[in-house]
Amino acid sequence: MRTQKISFIVSALAAIFLLVLVSSARVGPTYAIVNCKIVPVSGSPVENGVIIIRDGLIESLGAQDKVAIPMDAEVIPADGLYAYPGLIDAHTNFFVEPPKEEPGQRTAAAMAAQPEEKNWAQDVNQMAFDLLKPKKTSVDSLHMAGVTTVLVAAEKGIYAGQGALLNVNGEKAEAMVLKNPVALHINFTTERGRYPSSLMGTVAFLRQSFLDASHYSTHKSLFASSSRGLKRPEYDPYLEALCPFAVEKKPVFFNCANLEDIKRASRLIREYKLKGFITGANEAWRVADVVKELGVPLLVSLDFKPPFTSIYVNQGEEMKKKAEEEIYPANAANLHKQGVRFALTSLGLKRSSDMVKNMQKAIKAGLPREEALKAMTIVPAQLLGVADILGSLEPGKIANIILTSGEIFGEKTKVERVFVDGISFKVKPPPKKAQPTTLNLTGKWKATISGPMGEMEGTLDIQQEANAISGTISSDMGQWDITDGVISGKELSFTISATIMDETIELVFSGTAEQDSLEGTISFEGGSAELKATRIPERSSQRRGL
Amino acid sequence: MNRKTIIFIICLSLAVFSSLSSGQDLLINNGTVLTVTKGTILNGDVLILNGIIKKIGKDLKAPEGIKIVDATGKYVMPGIIDSHTHIALTGTNETGNAITPEVNMRDVLHAESTSIYTALSGGVTMVHTMHGSANPIGGENIVLKMKWGKTSEEMIVPEAYRTLKFALGENPKRANSFIIGTPRYPQSRMGVNAIIRREFLKAKNYMEQWDRYLKAKKSKKPAKNIIPLRKDLQMEQLADMMRGKMVARVHSYRADETLEFINLSKEFGFKIACFEHISEAFKITKELAKEGIGISIFLDSWAYKVEASEGIAYNAAYCTKKGILVSINSDSGERIRRLFNDAAKSMKYGDLSADEALKLITINPAIQLGVEKIAGSLEVGKHGDVAIFNEHPLSAYTVCQMTIIEGEIYFDRAQYLREREEMEKNKKEEEKKKGGKK
Repeated sequence: MRTQKISFIVSALAAIFLLVLVSSARVGPTYAIVNCKIVPVSGSPVENGVIIIRDGLIESLGAQDKVAIPMDAEVIPADGLYAYPGLIDAHTNFFVEPPKEEPGQRTAAAMAAQPEEKNWAQDVNQMAFDLLKPKKTSVDSLHMAGVTTVLVAAEKGIYAGQGALLNVNGEKAEAMVLKNPVALHINFTTERGRYPSSLMGTVAFLRQSFLDASHYSTHKSLFASSSRGLKRPEYDPYLEALCPFAVEKKPVFFNCANLEDIKRASRLIREYKLKGFITGANEAWRVADVVKELGVPLLVSLDFKPPFTSIYVNQGEEMKKKAEEEIYPANAANLHKQGVRFALTSLGLKRSSDMVKNMQKAIKAGLPREEALKAMTIVPAQLLGVADILGSLEPGKIANIILTSGEIFGEKTKVERVFVDGISFKVKPPPKKAQPTTLNLTGKWKATISGPMGEMEGTLDIQQEANAISGTISSDMGQWDITDGVISGKELSFTISATIMDETIELVFSGTAEQDSLEGTISFEGGSAELKATRIPERSSQRRGL
Repeated sequence: MNRKTIIFIICLSLAVFSSLSSGQDLLINNGTVLTVTKGTILNGDVLILNGIIKKIGKDLKAPEGIKIVDATGKYVMPGIIDSHTHIALTGTNETGNAITPEVNMRDVLHAESTSIYTALSGGVTMVHTMHGSANPIGGENIVLKMKWGKTSEEMIVPEAYRTLKFALGENPKRANSFIIGTPRYPQSRMGVNAIIRREFLKAKNYMEQWDRYLKAKKSKKPAKNIIPLRKDLQMEQLADMMRGKMVARVHSYRADETLEFINLSKEFGFKIACFEHISEAFKITKELAKEGIGISIFLDSWAYKVEASEGIAYNAAYCTKKGILVSINSDSGERIRRLFNDAAKSMKYGDLSADEALKLITINPAIQLGVEKIAGSLEVGKHGDVAIFNEHPLSAYTVCQMTIIEGEIYFDRAQYLREREEMEKNKKEEEKKKGGKK
């Protein structure tokens, strides 16, 4: 009897999840956004405008009396709202989780006994796409900042691998990709305990590598044209990986932490005729002439922390503060004054909300608002070669649209709704800051989940560290991880990453907890269920174990 | 006065000096002019136009409106040159390999390093800033003028020799190294010599290969299938050494391995400009003088490690008298502002004359760096790089008052002190106000 019941519930739940999967196909229905102020970036604003979205694209847009609303469209009233193209963050480390380092640091003795060969090919070939872990919380925070497109790349290493351009349309990596790979990312950093261990070594290493790649390619093409009587080029995975950038001139991003880095990058770009991009560059205004003369795409970070080499950081806290609050925020404004074209990015910032705050500071420091908007819409679209499909509101472009309560980047402006690939997302308020708690939920819990189809039992295994909650939930459907958990006072929330038939679905729990009991709601796309749990006394769990 | 305030003022002077400079014309008026190479002129003037010394003499007539520095009662000398230091760089050693001639200090200049201003405060106008001594063959060094507030490119002295750093003895064999990592070859003095020799043999072979390759390509009937040669940045540097386009600067303490290295340079036909630190130079003066190799040393610092244990304070004076080109270096961002004190010690230890002592920090390092045509003494046609002192620069009581590069004032002690005072006053007042509010 009991097994029958369980199997019924399991199949019922599976059915729900399948339903959820089907309904979250990656193109939204037809929408008509009506009565908004359209700011298309590529043209003049339209009051009382209408935007028609179909099949993930902008079908048409214009004044209310000129655009017919299709019969099948879901009408979205947007009275008093502004419609902007979704923002493009042209360089960020969001979503990318680097592979974890091998457990246990290698001891000096071990390193001495067997020095590890560096696998440069692996670093060059590291695809950000393969490291993507799009999380719902990150997606939500980007939407809240109005960002609908991101160029993501790994952060560390001389070669940080190759980045991907993504539409923030959910949490499924494959569905997000606009362009992959986009560019090779290079940092002026060093290796630990091996060559190149210094900045000068890194520059020399890069020089030799670009030289070698082009030599390798020449030898290979010579061999391809007439092999007889010619020495065969030895296959080299590293140079193979580098050739697309050194020879075929695919884009290379140079992350420039200070003004000398910009000069270093510009020398390398010139010497090896690379298709270079300067990114980071929060001291770019100090070498505006160099940047202007070089004439390569410039992706300026909104991170205002002065680099350690800066003249402003050695002069006490007051000066450092002034640098962060006044001098560096004026980077973009100064560049604009000097006639330099640039995109703005969030590189180096931990939170999307910081990007908005810093953008406001940049505007306050003299960057015209419309330039700020361009620097996160049409300019990055052009620099990344996707201006045909993104960067402004025009018929035929991808329906990446944000609806805001006021002018973009305004102090009180909120992003109300976001369309990415024509999929509608309601923007949720940020989670509250965790309050101190007296509870300790660590331990095993007997949980009952009751949904519309019946009940299911499982075991929660919770670990609590300060306010952070993690652990697992085990049931007949398998064991799933609990992530992003927070206990704030008595309010408990966490996410269950449920894997059903190789698909991962996030179930978000929110409720209240006591020392020995907790209850709340689990919500997922297309439904919800109640969860109640009571603590399993430690002794009894031990006995069961035996 | 705390350190931060001092640095703050230094940095502030960045802005101030750009307004202070009156282009590159300057008249230094009525000082005791120590030309170093052409004697001393009492109540002398130095006229600098467009950054170049135009006239030196008495009662010079200057163009109208030119900026004048009154040097009455003061001593005017050529800007001091530090032949061996590591300031104004991001990183000193590439320890990842033992052989790193491919690295270049030009790639890691740090124009915002406050050590530049520190150097100016000691009358230093030019430095040879170098790769460290971790590797038998280190990187390419660079000569900079201390143009505080200018870009790193503007500081580079294009007239100077290209120099490559070598290191012998304890440092490259990692005898005093506590760096955790792979114990690397070489671990002994013989190893150091052998690895340098090996690299030059490789470079020789590399040059021959290129000669053959270029010849084959240029021949009237070039073969179709000539594989292009790989350009190797390490080998290119060593080839440039053997082609005479670069000179060696060799970190070396002991007499025996110094002589070994001279043999090596003869075997491969490259030029040694200078041995660095060489505390045992007095033992091999004949050989050094014969080969025309200079030395760049500390005046009275020794016994800080085993290979430096036989040093003597008379080294500089004795070697000078034996006809060796000697310079005194700082090797430090702090000692760099007291090079004139070190030079003065050579008068006590070995009885050098005042001019001979001054040469140790002016024209001698200039010759070692290949810039004697533009710097190192006060002569017509040379750059207007000048240091002004309140007492004779070799006096124990002297303090540098002003440092000028190419007619532009980069350090002015009086102004610096005024600003410092003003700033402290302002800060105190602000603190008072804040206190009042509370």
